[in-house]
Amino acid sequence: MFNRKPLIGISVGLSVLMVGCAGTPEDNERLVEARSLYGQIENDTNVVRSGPAQLRSAKTRINEAEELQEEDATDDKIEHVSYLALRHTQIAHEQGKQAKLQEEINSAEQRREEMMLQMRTDEAQQARQEAQQLRREMERLQAEQTDRGMVLTLGDVLFGVNEASLKQSGEQTVQRLAEFMREYEDRRVRVEGYTDSTGDAAYNQELSERRAWSVKEELTERGIDGDRIEVQGFGEAHPVASNDTASGRQQNRRVEIVISDQDGNIQSR
Amino acid sequence: MKPHQYLGRTAIVLGLSATIAACAGPGPKPDSELQAAQSAVDRAEASDAREYNPVLLNDARNKVADAEELMEDEEYKEARRLLEQAELDARLAGARSETDKARQAVEEVNDSINKLRQRLNSEQQ
Repeated sequence: MFNRKPLIGISVGLSVLMVGCAGTPEDNERLVEARSLYGQIENDTNVVRSGPAQLRSAKTRINEAEELQEEDATDDKIEHVSYLALRHTQIAHEQGKQAKLQEEINSAEQRREEMMLQMRTDEAQQARQEAQQLRREMERLQAEQTDRGMVLTLGDVLFGVNEASLKQSGEQTVQRLAEFMREYEDRRVRVEGYTDSTGDAAYNQELSERRAWSVKEELTERGIDGDRIEVQGFGEAHPVASNDTASGRQQNRRVEIVISDQDGNIQSR
Repeated sequence: MKPHQYLGRTAIVLGLSATIAACAGPGPKPDSELQAAQSAVDRAEASDAREYNPVLLNDARNKVADAEELMEDEEYKEARRLLEQAELDARLAGARSETDKARQAVEEVNDSINKLRQRLNSEQQ
């Protein structure tokens, strides 16, 4: 118990001695903070690049505060200059952060542009693929490209003589058309009936309409919405061949199915 | 002991007079410091410090206001110190606001990149 007292005495004495040796009074808190922050940022490339002048101001003020401390200047004077030193250092720090963030923004924006370009390329490729697919489907339908759009012709042989109903081979074609219309939901069709010029014109008109209607019925039976199918009979009008020969007349007896563009528009005659 | 006491007293007296001399001298009117502080506050406001760093901005404005009062009383030295601090407070408030805004901008660009990436991925599937 008793031998502790001298020990305490010695340690107190030593501390006093150490403080005495340090010579300067305790460093100002803000100056300590400024110096420590300055140490963190002085070699930071972003800070150096963005604000060398600001960094210099910070250094100047830190040195000034240190000199004031050494000169034993008044506390409020040291405090003031230390305050300025800390603020200058903090501002330099912020400028460095901004430079780094700005770099991040620039590189991110570049990456975004690259992605947008990539996306446009992908979209163009997709559109090309879709167009190719459509062409294949049209070929399967045996549709022909005309100035009215894609036209599918159901020849006379697909119908019974003077009859509106389709033969089985005609139904196959309609089946393919129905599949096409299910696949391309925005496409519409106009079914147009035509005859040759033999016989009564009124009868021919009626026959052309009935044949067109029967095609529409075949399509609706296969689940195609009737709103997507227009029907028109043209009778003897618009022959595609001479009515003077048997083969020409056979070509004129037909049903044409005009397929709309992708917006559902069909060019009328 | 006696000579030492005298020396001490002399030192105190000298120190005091030095302090008094420092305080007494009003120095020049800190007009340019006032201008610098005010324009720093304006610039900080232009950087949206009112939104992003209101506390520090207010410190700066209060110091400017206090300094103006001190200047009316011809307390130029104290006014100058306040103005020097106010200028740097305002500059720091502005700089921090710019940093915050840049950080937001980074987030926004990254968000839009992520959305693009999601779209690209979903299209490729």
